[in-house]
Amino acid sequence: MEVFQMPDALANKIAAGEVVERPASVVKELIENSIDANSSWIRVEAVEAGLQSIKVIDNGNGMSETDAEKAFLRHATSKIKDETDLFRVNTLGFRGEALASIAAVSRLTVKTSQGDSAGTFLSIEGGVITDRTKSDARKGTEIVVDDLFFNTPARLKYMKTIHTELGHITDLLNRLALSHPSIRFEVVHNGKPLFNTAGTGDLLQVISQVYGMSVARKMIPVKHETLDFSIEGYIAKPEVTRASRNYISTMVNGRYIKSMQLSQAIIRGYHTLLTVGRSPIVVLSIDMDPVLVDVNVHPTKLEVRFSKDKALAAAIEDMIHGAFRSTSLIPEMEPKQPAPEKQTVQNTLTFDEPERETRSWPVEQHVSEFKPEFRSSMTEQNLTGSYSEKTTDDLPDIDSIGTTASDTYRSMEESDDAPRVPVMYPIGQLHGTYILAQNEAGFYMIDQHAAQERIKFERFRRKLGHTTNEVQELLIPLTFDFSKQESIFIDHHMEDLANVGLFFEPFGNQTYIIRSHPNWFPNGYEEEVIREMINQIVQDEKVDVQAIREDAAALMSCKRSIKANHHLNQEDMFKLLEGLRNTADPFTCPHGRPIMIHFSSYELEKMFKRVM
Amino acid sequence: MKFIVQRQQLISSVQDVMKAISSRTAIPILTGMKIEANANGIILTGSDSDITIESFIPAEEDGMINVEQIEEGSVVLQARYFPDIVRKLPDNTVEIESDENFNITIKSGKAQFNLNGQDANEYPHLPNLQAENSFDIQSDLLKDLIKQTGFAVSAMETRPILTGVNITIENETLHFTATDSHRLASRRVPLEGVTSDSSNIVVPGKSLNELNKILDDTGEKVEISVMNNQILFRTKYLHFLSRLLDGNYPETSRLIPDQSQTVLHVRTKELINTIDRASLLAKEERNNVVKLTTKDNQLLQITSNSPEVGQVAEEISVQSLEGENLKISFSSKYMLDALKVIENDEVIIKFTGAMRPFVIQPADDDAILQLILPVRTY
Repeated sequence: MEVFQMPDALANKIAAGEVVERPASVVKELIENSIDANSSWIRVEAVEAGLQSIKVIDNGNGMSETDAEKAFLRHATSKIKDETDLFRVNTLGFRGEALASIAAVSRLTVKTSQGDSAGTFLSIEGGVITDRTKSDARKGTEIVVDDLFFNTPARLKYMKTIHTELGHITDLLNRLALSHPSIRFEVVHNGKPLFNTAGTGDLLQVISQVYGMSVARKMIPVKHETLDFSIEGYIAKPEVTRASRNYISTMVNGRYIKSMQLSQAIIRGYHTLLTVGRSPIVVLSIDMDPVLVDVNVHPTKLEVRFSKDKALAAAIEDMIHGAFRSTSLIPEMEPKQPAPEKQTVQNTLTFDEPERETRSWPVEQHVSEFKPEFRSSMTEQNLTGSYSEKTTDDLPDIDSIGTTASDTYRSMEESDDAPRVPVMYPIGQLHGTYILAQNEAGFYMIDQHAAQERIKFERFRRKLGHTTNEVQELLIPLTFDFSKQESIFIDHHMEDLANVGLFFEPFGNQTYIIRSHPNWFPNGYEEEVIREMINQIVQDEKVDVQAIREDAAALMSCKRSIKANHHLNQEDMFKLLEGLRNTADPFTCPHGRPIMIHFSSYELEKMFKRVM
Repeated sequence: MKFIVQRQQLISSVQDVMKAISSRTAIPILTGMKIEANANGIILTGSDSDITIESFIPAEEDGMINVEQIEEGSVVLQARYFPDIVRKLPDNTVEIESDENFNITIKSGKAQFNLNGQDANEYPHLPNLQAENSFDIQSDLLKDLIKQTGFAVSAMETRPILTGVNITIENETLHFTATDSHRLASRRVPLEGVTSDSSNIVVPGKSLNELNKILDDTGEKVEISVMNNQILFRTKYLHFLSRLLDGNYPETSRLIPDQSQTVLHVRTKELINTIDRASLLAKEERNNVVKLTTKDNQLLQITSNSPEVGQVAEEISVQSLEGENLKISFSSKYMLDALKVIENDEVIIKFTGAMRPFVIQPADDDAILQLILPVRTY
């Protein structure tokens, strides 16, 4: 067989297989180009989920006539110039493959202008320029991709239903919108508006567009800065969970990425607050020096490599952990009816006339002044008026979501010394299972088993974390074969392992002998525990006995706690509630189930129609 | 198939066979019990593919009629209900009959059960063991051997070979050894008239414990034969077949110290009671660890200390104490397990320092050996 170099048209079609997988990929590449061109407004019009036509219009920089033609050549880009640029990529694209690939598998027209002179119109079919004229001079670019995959029937055959493809496009737009809250997105499918964002730069507002108002209300803002990273975003309270990790969005330097490491760090941050198998809703935007991240891993640029991955994961974990440490997480009982007053609140707030608003809710203000640190979110909303005089400057003032967020900001600031759970006075017991309690802020229902489980869990966890320095000798030593990577970590952490009572004796290539094991190891599970410790070492470079024995602690605390159907007298209940107040995580049991539910006085009044 | 059987005979046979039947099996028919009738009597079979037990009820024994009106045949019936049915039947005799559709009728007095059975041809064929490599042992001695070693097998399948008891025959000596690598138990007995040379097998500890439960303490003869990964224990009316464990049992003889620095003679019962009391506080927090300290004047001190609970100390006098003074910690559970199976009033405990394994033996018999590894502080 003779060897020859492929013609460009063929090479482009092959590259298109990687870059242009489905209509959503086209949308992604085009929008990313628009974003890189500093657009503040992007409109996407798709027909039949983009299989028939995709139109992307922006108000970005536009291109000159010569650039417009060059842009469709393979490996043509304006975004990087030499190798050094490759390691500090500030733009979303840089590979110079996307436009050439898209043009190779579709009928494409482009209209672009830099706004100062006449624009350029190009028509390209299967990668060949078929028409070239002048066009109007609107600043920006408009690209229309028709008949995608018309010349690659194999790929076309594998397209899923319109719904699936549209799902991919929506998913993608959600993420792009979340990464760029300051760009106004308008998305139209088959002539119907699908999705709009305001482009005000307020991430919470975008979240409310993407996940809905109710989710946005339950989001807590987080912010953390280290020397290398600046992390900002919103995390959902543990009461709002989803079954899949798809609801965790991480953006690095404005690029949506998928990273197991980051997702795991986020979930670790939630720790016992989540029920098994549930994932949180999280939107985190991470800024770092582009030198610290390598995006040139895969053509779709979904995966990246971090230089300081461990530090980043630790920072995220701590940040989330810290955020929950300082917030009240008691799920609020929400009345089913739509509450008309929300509307009023929104309106008055938009007018930004706080005094009038506070006057309109005299009852609420009374209640909240009584015990300011434990207002329910409802009362807080009405109250913000009185605070906003001080705070309006640095707070987004758009609507009620904004105020929820600002409340949380404020409560985070306050919470350093205040206990997170208010003093509650027991009223009685329901079905021998729930404690009913009250205080100034309303009415609480507490699951007695979960409450005691949490108290005991924290005690046992501490206790089990402190092990005696005793080891049980072994008659027949355990032999372990480790991978090269593991053995490097073991050699490096010999001392840490010895500190917890594990003495690894090297026994030839990557094999180690253990002649004794810590006495606390559960009988018969010695090998498992040792393997788990090595995993810890490899992942976190430390041994954490507390974490390993956490399951044991959870089991002990569950078994030794009072169950449902157990009578408690007033004294018992009070002691239990006090114990709960002093725990570090008084809101969920070790398995992530909620411990208490709160009905604020206002909600009660509303349910009884004492206020409207 | 049809027969009438004495109910008491049937009850005891069914109970023995049930030991091999598990309600969770990979092969569904193994949840059943096979009943086979022939002119000599009836045979009940149960199996979980690790263990198979066959119990034989002879038609006639010492002039007593056990089974009568026998029509030959076989059937498999659901073992889940059978033992309770037999136990609660009203009369002294039970009539069991099955037709060609495997419908089983059980009659006793005026009670009648109709059960759905299965075709005995679908029951797995059991290997036919040729007893060519066999020896005899008295059942009470076999039970002792199992009792004194079987408890020390490992409960975890992580090192499968340690879940078995190592049985060796060498120089006319039968040797049982078991260890979970925290402690080791072994016993030797002389064996006469062995036909084979040496042999070395590993029998699952679980099988031996089941065997121990169904063997009588009467001193009747048990014939043991080994063939192709199987071991067969055979008494007059009982066949007990178990699989063997694959793999090499670790060489344990060199692990047993032959020297000692401290030797104690103690009354077994007293030591058991003392350690038992000390372990009361050590159970949860300390993983059963107790400490033994030698004192002057032929005294030992057993202590245990659990910071959150409290502490306990007790002194106990010993018959003799030779050698160096010693402080050693160990698991009270392992110690009690070992002491309890030594059926002797006095034990000798030989230590070789606080870090080394120690050996417990009856005062007058070095054929039994219990070895325990200490807990040490680092």
